[in-house]
Amino acid sequence: MVTTMGNRLKSLYLALLNVHYGWSAGKYYYFKKKQRIWEPLVLVVALAPAAVMAVWFLWSMTDKLFLAGLAYGEPHLSLAYGALMVAVLTLFFGFFYVLSAFYFSSDLEILVPLPFKSWEILVAKLGVVLTGQYVINTLLLLPIWIRYGLLAGVGVDYVLSALVVFLTLPILPLVLASLFTVVLMRFTNLSRHKDRLTLIGGILFVVVVLGFQLWMQNNIGDGDPEAFLEQVLIQTDGLVRIVGRVFPTSVWAAQAMAYSYSAQGWLRLFYLVLASAVGLGVLYLLGERVFLQGVVAGLEGSKQGASRAVDWKSPQVRPAFWTLVNTEIRLFVRDPGFALNGLIGYILLPVMAILPLFAKNLSENPFEFLTQQEWPPLLLIGGVALFFMVMTSMSMIPTTTFSREGKYLWIIRSMPLSIQEIIFTRVVASQIVNTLGCLLGLLPVAHLFGWSVFTIIIGTLLGVFLATALACLLIILDLSRPMLDWVNPIKAVKSNLNAIVGLFGSMLLTFGLGALFYWNFQAGQLWLVPLELLLACAVLAFLGLLLLSRFAPKQWQSIEGGI
Amino acid sequence: MLQLHDVSKKYKGADRFAVRDLDLQVRSGEIFGFLGPNGAGKTTTIKMIVGLLQADRGRIVVNGHDLAKDPVKAKHSIGFVPDNPNLYGRLTGIEYLNLIGDVFGVDGPTRARRLDYYLEMFQLTRAAGDLVQSYSHGMQQKLALTGALLHAPALFILDEPMVGLDPKSAHLFKEIMREHVDKGNTVFFSTHILEVAEKLCDRVGIINQGQLIACGTMDELRQSSQKTDLSLERLFLELTEDGDNHGK
Repeated sequence: MVTTMGNRLKSLYLALLNVHYGWSAGKYYYFKKKQRIWEPLVLVVALAPAAVMAVWFLWSMTDKLFLAGLAYGEPHLSLAYGALMVAVLTLFFGFFYVLSAFYFSSDLEILVPLPFKSWEILVAKLGVVLTGQYVINTLLLLPIWIRYGLLAGVGVDYVLSALVVFLTLPILPLVLASLFTVVLMRFTNLSRHKDRLTLIGGILFVVVVLGFQLWMQNNIGDGDPEAFLEQVLIQTDGLVRIVGRVFPTSVWAAQAMAYSYSAQGWLRLFYLVLASAVGLGVLYLLGERVFLQGVVAGLEGSKQGASRAVDWKSPQVRPAFWTLVNTEIRLFVRDPGFALNGLIGYILLPVMAILPLFAKNLSENPFEFLTQQEWPPLLLIGGVALFFMVMTSMSMIPTTTFSREGKYLWIIRSMPLSIQEIIFTRVVASQIVNTLGCLLGLLPVAHLFGWSVFTIIIGTLLGVFLATALACLLIILDLSRPMLDWVNPIKAVKSNLNAIVGLFGSMLLTFGLGALFYWNFQAGQLWLVPLELLLACAVLAFLGLLLLSRFAPKQWQSIEGGI
Repeated sequence: MLQLHDVSKKYKGADRFAVRDLDLQVRSGEIFGFLGPNGAGKTTTIKMIVGLLQADRGRIVVNGHDLAKDPVKAKHSIGFVPDNPNLYGRLTGIEYLNLIGDVFGVDGPTRARRLDYYLEMFQLTRAAGDLVQSYSHGMQQKLALTGALLHAPALFILDEPMVGLDPKSAHLFKEIMREHVDKGNTVFFSTHILEVAEKLCDRVGIINQGQLIACGTMDELRQSSQKTDLSLERLFLELTEDGDNHGK
């Protein structure tokens, strides 16, 4: 029986969605094997505070924008902002999602030989990206829309209009990102430089984050929310006009919902649907002509060029310990997905800390305490040590060390090494990177703020002890449930619950110790800080050694994946 | 060299044993072929021998070392190549081989001699400096073989070693296996290619539905079936069909 085109497209979309979100794998583990059932619960508990805070922020922002907009005769300002925020975020991140899904995913080698039309693969993949975007948009838009609805006293027409807007809003930004990507990949064959592209994308992301931070520093004003809002509103007119030019869809979306009771609103909704349909049509035509050619060129481009000469006749023999440390570091830094996610914090955090120095209103900025107050050296020692400790979990090197091995884990498991030896090499590798990374960020900050060399040395030493003891625990955490079933290596770090749990735990520890140091400061007993650091270090080390001798060997033998 | 005593394995959530009460002795200086239909338990057995899976019951002894009690010493005697050797894509071939050499403590001159021999033989000399992710499947297979042979293991274990090798490499590889056992070492490999097993193996074991249903030299197997002119293929089909029928 000939499968109809619609069924084929639906099957392809559902299969890609399943693989992307790991539904079958989840069902297999959670329901059939009845393993790791607690994972989703932990994930919900870990992410819930962030989600609650985001919803609260958007809810109160809508409140303020509604009232302020009312004064200017534009109460639907919050709707315009919501739509603009979604459009810009979708366009910016959409470019990376699309690039990754369309050209860098490993399923292309399976899909290309199958009898699919070029546009079918393109549309199914776009569908997967779009589905993910709908989930994100639900979190971003619902609080704004519900709050606006309550404030404006809207009717059923608003709900209907909102439903259509919700479905169409991310289409055009994603289509624009897709068009740009498809054309770029067809004529430049950037797949050949996949690593470089990932690196550039990551750096671009950092620049945008830092730029936004600096803009906020310079535009928030004197910290008064009312004044900030006024400033926003002064800029709003221009901003909306610019947005209207670049992204008319977000203005149409806001007007469609705000005037859903009138013909004007439904006309705007029609514009929005029409624009999305036209965009999809253009993508279909272009996809049919050039998409597969770009993919095939990329698959060809993944093979290397000329071979590099190597001298194996006089091999460099090293102690196994250093070779294992070296290999762990090499494998981490050579993968841009790992390196960017793990190492970016070492640069981002110190830069964000000293950014206020370049802001206009230094005296009123929230980092004033760092720049203008003389802090006792013992407290600084505590701060530096905590920085080392928190960064080791933020780097995700220890918390994903076995997960990153994935299907390569058989190599290390079939080697004549005890798990204690392996963990020891992993701790050392993570601490070499952590110490270098922390010093890279810390030394310029210390120089700028004039911290003494002695403070830095003692803080670093205590920090290295503390981070080493913590790293051992974090590695054992990853050993307890390594995430080995991944196709895209980025998933091993970005979608890894061990990384989240590890970060959450070390944050709690950092806040706990930080609070203790502050209490010491208030009580005039700062001499306790180094002792407390050493005590924390001893407790962590004891726990690590206990788990290393009792739990780790059994767990190492019982792992069933990784080949 | 290799002893398995009443070894059993049942995967979590599975309703039947993947391997059940497996008793097997592989002697030093022999090539042992481990045969069986798909899903019979060959790979599970191999994974247990090399320490990638833990047996639920029974004992595995490698070169005199109990795998459960002294896995590090047992693994020192093993060189292993899985059916689909996934190697670190972001290491170069030579970096991977040096990793193996350092961990197994292969000294410089010996390493240089063996690398020279195997890299030349498998025509990997030009690619040794390239990242493994740029290798074809066959090249990765040959690199994994080179890595597994680098420390001249007393027990060389391979899961479907012929898959992915071109005819010339397969021929060379059969010679390597014979050469390896001639030095007193042991080769244990699983295969579906019965012709290779028949010509190359000193003894074969046939596993079906997790249980060893036959083991011995070709002559011993023929005698036990009371049909002296039977090929290994015919014998294999008869034995595994019997096993299937019993299973039903």
